[in-house]
Amino acid sequence: MSAIEITNISQAFNLGMSNQVDALTDINLSIASGEFVSLIGPSGCGKSTLLRLIANLLVPTSGAIVVNGKSAKQARLDQDYGMAFQQSGLFEWRTVAKNIELPLELKGWDKTRRQARATEMLELVKLSDFANHFPWQLSGGMQQRVAIARALAVHPSLLLMDEPFGALDEMTREHMQSELLSICRASGTTVVFVTHSIPEAVYLSNRVVVMSPRPGRVAEIVDVSIEGERNDATRDNAVFFQRITAVREALRGVEMSDHVRGIEDR
Amino acid sequence: MTTVATIKKNRETVRRVRRAILFVVSLLFVAVAWELYKAVGPEAGGKIFGWKLLPRSNNNAMPHVWDMLMRYNRPELRGSDRKIWSVVLAGAWFSFRLALVGFAIGSTLGLGLSILMARFKIAERGILPYLVVSQTVPLIALAPLVVSWGGKLHIAGWTWPRWMSAAVLGAFLAFFPVAVGALKGLTSAPLASHELMDSYAASWWQTLRKLRFPAAIPFIVPSLKLAASASVIGVVVAEISTGLKGGIGRLIIEYAREATGDPAKVFTAVFGAAALGLAMSGLVTLADIYMMRNRPKEASA
Repeated sequence: MSAIEITNISQAFNLGMSNQVDALTDINLSIASGEFVSLIGPSGCGKSTLLRLIANLLVPTSGAIVVNGKSAKQARLDQDYGMAFQQSGLFEWRTVAKNIELPLELKGWDKTRRQARATEMLELVKLSDFANHFPWQLSGGMQQRVAIARALAVHPSLLLMDEPFGALDEMTREHMQSELLSICRASGTTVVFVTHSIPEAVYLSNRVVVMSPRPGRVAEIVDVSIEGERNDATRDNAVFFQRITAVREALRGVEMSDHVRGIEDR
Repeated sequence: MTTVATIKKNRETVRRVRRAILFVVSLLFVAVAWELYKAVGPEAGGKIFGWKLLPRSNNNAMPHVWDMLMRYNRPELRGSDRKIWSVVLAGAWFSFRLALVGFAIGSTLGLGLSILMARFKIAERGILPYLVVSQTVPLIALAPLVVSWGGKLHIAGWTWPRWMSAAVLGAFLAFFPVAVGALKGLTSAPLASHELMDSYAASWWQTLRKLRFPAAIPFIVPSLKLAASASVIGVVVAEISTGLKGGIGRLIIEYAREATGDPAKVFTAVFGAAALGLAMSGLVTLADIYMMRNRPKEASA
């Protein structure tokens, strides 16, 4: 069963006005349950917009999005997905544990159940000792782990991430990538992951969706298919480098058509 | 981590003690400057470049610091056995309670208005200009109106007490900074946090309680400090202009009439009013420390 079915999506801002922006045109994408899909492309290609459409934070100008067999709106109301952003977006007035409990509070869970789940999530992201700390007492990487724990707290079948590791240093970033993979492997979560980094996209994903700007559309979908479990050894794998090259070439094709910035090659 | 926290806490305590010492030192400094001017300043006032700027330094205009302090321990009126410190204290306490009621009404009203304005953009456009205009109305013009409106109120056997007018006028000055500060705070949360709440399908009220309001606290606290001192000013002025007896504002006016014969007397009431203002802002500072206890320290500057 497919987790996300996107059919003929178009998104325009300021529709019908002189400053109309066509953010996305005619997007078709089907994401299978348990799949890890990255969206990559230069700034302005609409990858964050596409993620927000799936999350129903935006309503598409035309086309249909089906999430878990229901409308995107219903999926949002049912809290079918968890979301994480580049800025961890933790509430500074709440402890780490209370931050993770936030989506559960909004779901109306009672206190004991919430605390049990928060403890479980803290173990998952290996931050059990920091339950009663405040976000500003943690490092950037730890904050981002809390944000992921919060996104996973309702045990969603789908995780939507918008450059969640964008603000982290390279070492922390690679570490977090491996942790994310093992968490998703254990829970069978479907992930849609927006990124600027080619190696990050290739390392994490089953498929990399390369997008092009003005108007935003899918330029190419690169099938990563690296054999076996991904770990740090994967980063030295010849296939890994081949796929990076493939994504880079696809992006270069995109760049030919337009002046492009904002792609990280690291 | 814990040791770092302890060090930070100790540093915080040291900072507070230092601030308290600094306050006392600054009081002494003012007293010394006062006496110094009395020693060298012209008795009958003086001119600088033809402008009459220098105040008179004689004992009638500027009593000695010790005379003002000693005055506290002498009776209020000749032949009465009630010492003036107890009269001033009672007056300050009376006004303090009025200011507290005014502060409570004003803050509640300000907060309510800010929530309304944050909820409906149209309310902000409709209400905010009136709030600004309201603060340009002189309190003295408003005082008799409030008294006469209040006097007409009889709700189910409840009549408007006279002191209520003064409290309402205090509230009139207090609500404004709270309304403006809280509105700024309620709209301060970043878009990403709102998107997060939307992704949880949170209702507007849930977003208000769990995001907007906590995010507004660092903005509300300083506006409460402004409101606290504004409510004191409002009450003191209202006491004078409505002729309400028993408070510090009334004492200032009464004692000022005796300034020629007993110049130190009026200062005892003035200091009483200053202490009242300090008590009020001290109260808000306590609330500040409590509400901001778990926030990053940069934000509570």
